[in-house]
Amino acid sequence: MKTFNMIIAGVGGQGVITAGTLISEAAIKAGLNVVMSEIHGLSQRGGSVSVEVRIGDVYGPISPRRRVDLIMGFEPIETFRVLQSVNTDARVLMNKEKLTPISVSMKDEEYPDIQKMISMVSSSSKIYEIDAVDLGRKAGSFRSANVVMIGAALSLGILPVNEKNITDALIDRFTGKLLDINIGAMKLGMMEVSETDEKVQVSP
Amino acid sequence: MVKLNDLMLEGTQETILFLLSNEAIARGAVEAGVRVATTYPGTPSSEVGDTLSLIAKKFGMKFQFSVNEKVAIETAFAASISGLRSMVFMKHVGLNVASDPFMSIAYTGVRSGMVVMSADDPSMYSSQNEQDNRHYADLAHVPMIEPSNPQEAKDFLLQAFDLSEKYKLPVLFRTTTRVSHMRGLVKLGEIRKDLPEMGVFVKDVHEFVCLPSNSYTLKEKLMDKMHGLKGESDSSNMNRIEHHGNGKYGIITSGAAYNSVMDVITEYGLDADILKLGFTNPLPEKIIGGFITNHRDVIIVEELDPYLESKIRTIAQMHSIDARIYGKLDGYFSESHEFTPDTVAHSLSKIIGFAVQDAPKGKLDLPPRPPVLCPGCPHRAAYYAVKRAVKMMNKPDTIFASDIGCYSLGVYDPYEEADTMISMGSSIGMANGFAMSTNQKVIAFIGDSTFFHSGIPPLINAVHNKLNILVIVLDNGTTAMTGQQPNPGEKFNALGEESPSIAIEDIARSVGVKDVQVIDPYDLKESLKAITRALKEDSVSVIVSRRECAILRDRDMQKTGKILTYTVDQDKCGKCMNCVENFSCPAIFIENGEIRIDPNLCDGCGVCAEAYVCPFKAIEVRQ
Ligand code: SF4
Ligand code: SF4
Repeated sequence: MKTFNMIIAGVGGQGVITAGTLISEAAIKAGLNVVMSEIHGLSQRGGSVSVEVRIGDVYGPISPRRRVDLIMGFEPIETFRVLQSVNTDARVLMNKEKLTPISVSMKDEEYPDIQKMISMVSSSSKIYEIDAVDLGRKAGSFRSANVVMIGAALSLGILPVNEKNITDALIDRFTGKLLDINIGAMKLGMMEVSETDEKVQVSP
Repeated sequence: MVKLNDLMLEGTQETILFLLSNEAIARGAVEAGVRVATTYPGTPSSEVGDTLSLIAKKFGMKFQFSVNEKVAIETAFAASISGLRSMVFMKHVGLNVASDPFMSIAYTGVRSGMVVMSADDPSMYSSQNEQDNRHYADLAHVPMIEPSNPQEAKDFLLQAFDLSEKYKLPVLFRTTTRVSHMRGLVKLGEIRKDLPEMGVFVKDVHEFVCLPSNSYTLKEKLMDKMHGLKGESDSSNMNRIEHHGNGKYGIITSGAAYNSVMDVITEYGLDADILKLGFTNPLPEKIIGGFITNHRDVIIVEELDPYLESKIRTIAQMHSIDARIYGKLDGYFSESHEFTPDTVAHSLSKIIGFAVQDAPKGKLDLPPRPPVLCPGCPHRAAYYAVKRAVKMMNKPDTIFASDIGCYSLGVYDPYEEADTMISMGSSIGMANGFAMSTNQKVIAFIGDSTFFHSGIPPLINAVHNKLNILVIVLDNGTTAMTGQQPNPGEKFNALGEESPSIAIEDIARSVGVKDVQVIDPYDLKESLKAITRALKEDSVSVIVSRRECAILRDRDMQKTGKILTYTVDQDKCGKCMNCVENFSCPAIFIENGEIRIDPNLCDGCGVCAEAYVCPFKAIEVRQ
């Protein structure tokens, strides 16, 4: 039975955990088994954060590093941090928002060059770059960037959940204007990715 | 919107929710009819308390954030011997603080069910060590239960209460980060409603007074109880055997390691039976004996210390079972850090002999991103001011004794204001020792919660012994690192009820500190004045640096909609780089050679705009 493993990586405060929970809840709505890991580091914000979502016949919350189906990176450096140590055919969605670590700015340095990083990883799959913050703002709030990313993942086609499952998960979590913003964000994200990969088949 | 808490409240037997194990444990406490629950917040156990503070009241449960773990366990113990089911939970190192009463509680035993939960932290995601608290079950002689996932976390907790009540012993309920912080599907159960809301304490001096003469017999009684528990473990459904393939190998495992083992078995289709242990003290001797007899090649997969392994090897020796046992003692598994499916596959492959491909090892030179103080964090301002003050006073060898909290992050560049950090309250404790043994000035940094937890005795010690120390209490009005739980300095308690707020400066004065100042760290000028003054003192000085945690401030700002941010006027910016090099708020960065402020990150504290950070007055409110 195929399982689906994804890693969501970003910086504390970007809505990484919420994104993981939304996808998990959508998978539950699709009748699938899900486990998710949440690691709360030392401080509330600003450090690297990653969440793993595993769907299907799985036990623990940690994905084997050669079995990752999708990396959803909310920040370039954090995307590469994960990407460089997993199977090279993992699909990659990357939010372009650059957050300069203070370890860089403190030394009067600037953010590393993204194209150079891309050229240095041995990923065999295309890295979809998405301006999720800008799209989120268009949807009504930059805070909905995480849902833009989920929308893009939906269009990528490999998530074992569909648009209705995600919409239902959003309805459970938000009301009123916030719900509208998030549904809009999902739709904007969906329009960002057109090439579709094969869906990972996970049987309930 | 369906809120999780409402679901937890209304959920009946059939409801299935997607819960963290910690949330499932909170629900389990409700189902078990717990009447008194106590804790001191500590990751990875914190969400149990966060959940209870939302739901406890509705179920007639009294829940408190205690001042420290020792008080928490004593409170829960008194509830239990007054006839109420009680639970106390904490992180692993918290049990060190509570260990003194814990040992004796095992001797006296309990009356109504009492569970002591310890959440261990293999790999130290948020802790100073990764001690293996399973040893506490042996040290105290109490039963121990270890769940592997959210459903078990809830279900096993109920069994823990039944066991505790049956044997009149506290039960150690041990999780680890990967269990506590694992989210999965949980089927709820029935809530016990037949238990009393109020207890009555029935006196018995022979039972609860640990005088040597009483303890002498209590110890014998305790050992009798533990011997009686052996059969219980052998018949418990928390210990079970699962068959895979022909079962050529036998694997014995528990807790989070079980999940990794199962993921590996499924992925590689391994031929191995599993003995999954959930009731791990006392161990099910008969089951284990049978299992190792039947398998001959037995692999023990457990995180941290060879706790199960040592005991299983003993069982094999006692029953003269001729089996090959693989584990940590012969070097197949590591004694450090948590296991993952990858590390388990690696170790198993060396024993069973199958091919594993390793994942690529990253070669990119990526800048590290350790956790940092939030934008707007009052601690950043305080550290900045102290660093300047120490420089102004020309005391470069000043010792910074730090403590446990968000402010531990002051160890990093550019602040470098944490030379030691050992345990809760150790800042002031060690400051005592530095003052006695060196001529250097010593500053102890301690947070408000940590001060209440264990900062007061060493402060008294310093006054009593006439030592020269400066204590800076970084008072942000909350227990920030673990998720903003209230502490005695605040005006409300765990259940959101009003409670008297205890002022740290009052405590300092009342124990005889003459030099007590209160500052607002956002006001750098005044802070510098106060700190330089205190640095000249040669007795105990206390500075309370008081400013609300930026996260709390943010929550308020989001409610009121007034979000202020700052920006850099490029014409005025003199490129001195002081703001990035020395103040280093994460919202400030450099792009195309210009200093910029990320409006999504800026918290509007305005400290960077002060002349002490930006001498060119280039930072101003974004219009
Ligand atoms: S949570 Fe509060 S105390 Fe902790 S770093 Fe952030 S602002 Fe500072
Ligand atoms: S005002 Fe300045 S110091 Fe405060 S959060 Fe914004 S950028 Fe950081």
